[in-house]
Amino acid sequence: MTELAIYTEGLTKRFGGFTAVEDLSLEVRDGTVVSLLGPNGAGKTTTVRMLATLMRPDAGRACVGGYDVVSDAARVRELIALTGQFAALDKNLTARENLVLMARLRGRNGRAGRALADQLIDRFDIGDFRDRLVKNLSGGEKRRVDLAAGLIDTPHVLVLDEPTTGLDPRSRQVVWTTIRELVAQGVTLLLTTQYLEEADALADRVVLIDRGIEVAAGTPAQLKAQVGEQRVDIIAADSAAFTELCDLLWERFEVTPSPEQRMISIPAPREAADLAHIAAVVDESRIGVDEVALRRPTLDDAFLALTGHAAHDQTPELEEAAA
Amino acid sequence: MTATTATTAVPVRAAQLPTGPLGFARDTILLTGRSLRAIPRVPERLLDVTIQPIVFILLFLYVFGSAIHVPGVSYKDYLFPGIIAQSLAFGIIGAGVATSNDMTEGVIDRFRSMPISRLSIISGQVMGQFCEQVLGMVIVVGFGLALGWDPQLTFAHGVELAGLMLLGMLAFTWAGVLLGMLVRSPDAMQGVGFIVIFPLAFLAGTFVPIAGMDAIPRAIAEWDPISALVASVRGLTTPGLHAGGSWQLDHPQLAMALWCVVLMAICVPLALRRFNRTLAA
Repeated sequence: MTELAIYTEGLTKRFGGFTAVEDLSLEVRDGTVVSLLGPNGAGKTTTVRMLATLMRPDAGRACVGGYDVVSDAARVRELIALTGQFAALDKNLTARENLVLMARLRGRNGRAGRALADQLIDRFDIGDFRDRLVKNLSGGEKRRVDLAAGLIDTPHVLVLDEPTTGLDPRSRQVVWTTIRELVAQGVTLLLTTQYLEEADALADRVVLIDRGIEVAAGTPAQLKAQVGEQRVDIIAADSAAFTELCDLLWERFEVTPSPEQRMISIPAPREAADLAHIAAVVDESRIGVDEVALRRPTLDDAFLALTGHAAHDQTPELEEAAA
Repeated sequence: MTATTATTAVPVRAAQLPTGPLGFARDTILLTGRSLRAIPRVPERLLDVTIQPIVFILLFLYVFGSAIHVPGVSYKDYLFPGIIAQSLAFGIIGAGVATSNDMTEGVIDRFRSMPISRLSIISGQVMGQFCEQVLGMVIVVGFGLALGWDPQLTFAHGVELAGLMLLGMLAFTWAGVLLGMLVRSPDAMQGVGFIVIFPLAFLAGTFVPIAGMDAIPRAIAEWDPISALVASVRGLTTPGLHAGGSWQLDHPQLAMALWCVVLMAICVPLALRRFNRTLAA
């Protein structure tokens, strides 16, 4: 039987009359990556704070590595590392001083602490700003230092709370690479994110939550199958063009027309290849179009498909192709 | 990757963490060091502690002072002990503002989720603040001496004064740290300071003798804890000057020590409880 790294049952947290997390039951097996996916305010951060012993659940229970987060909090703290959405660093220390301090608090002497900090600086590409005060670092730089600080001792369970929200592409890449390396080392990972794409890229299993309640769970493939494939959306220049396009495309593709938006939507399971093909057909016809775009399913699509209502925060991701 | 290929990660611990009192002391020293490093990097915090007394010194010595006559002593020698005691009391605001700033920082969350003594987080905070208060006091005293304050101290009185001052700063730092955790916003802490500490500090015979006050302010001043602080410093540095009027003013050093012990007896357990409550919230 596989050990459970994280186990919660009926986990509930209320703030006054507001229920942030309600009856959440999670199981994360050792060595796997589970993503908690949801919009802002879905209860992701509250959940990970309870797991990291920073908040006490109001009902239900949670265990990390078999230890209860309330009654065995000290044990849990030895197994878990949390990297939050807000950098948990001393802003009046430099990046390197922060790492040395964390290493020393985890039992290294001065020399070993500095050596470990320098290793982490290399690994996380921090060298350029190692001696700058944390308060003067950019969001992405802080996040990298923060992640490094969470990995002083390779934790049994690493909890990453929205590790790439607001990051520039380079920092995002560093974070993703690190996550993959850690997973290869056998670290169990609980990752919260607002991006379906991120959950898809990194997780074995995705739990979709909204307003503190589990909405759906499954592998990324299962979830995407429910949400629907990527689509190519074509917006016609005017209603005459829309009618012409419908006539042209309906025999060759599985079209879904939306006359009020002058939009025709076509499934694109082969992504860019389908986009190129459809764009070529449209271009050849010389019918006027405003836009031909590949549309990836977003968190909002997932919510629409699975819950019938929109997520609170939506960030449509459109990849446009020349019309 | 799939769950079936999972391997179990064992936490890699390159070092054994010391536990018990030794671990607590080690963590406290490391966390105090963290607070001390902030002093040169956030100089405005030290300025908070020193600028106010310096302004009061200049204002009362060179502006209002000419109109104040205290029998038997120069106004300069009367004023400085008051300023020093007042700075000590204002330490409560400085420590409170700094703590309330610190507690909202993400780094405290990281410390809490680490396998270190939780008590050390608060003791590190207190020690850091205490050192900052001591440094501020050294600057204020140095400023006074540079302006010609001439304390009449015997060696024994010097030791007594230093001991009382350190005890006082420790007690007021603890009180500040407690308040800083209760208010949860640095601005609110400033507000509490101005509403509670300011009037008490002005009534305490800091700038003018209590004996000359109206009946109601005099009654408050005679039992105002800060009066004991002022009278203590004044009694030790200006022999022959004796306030009197209440038990605590007749025995200022003993009263000051008692106030500090009482303050710590109340604030230390409350601060620790409050910190643990914050964790459990």
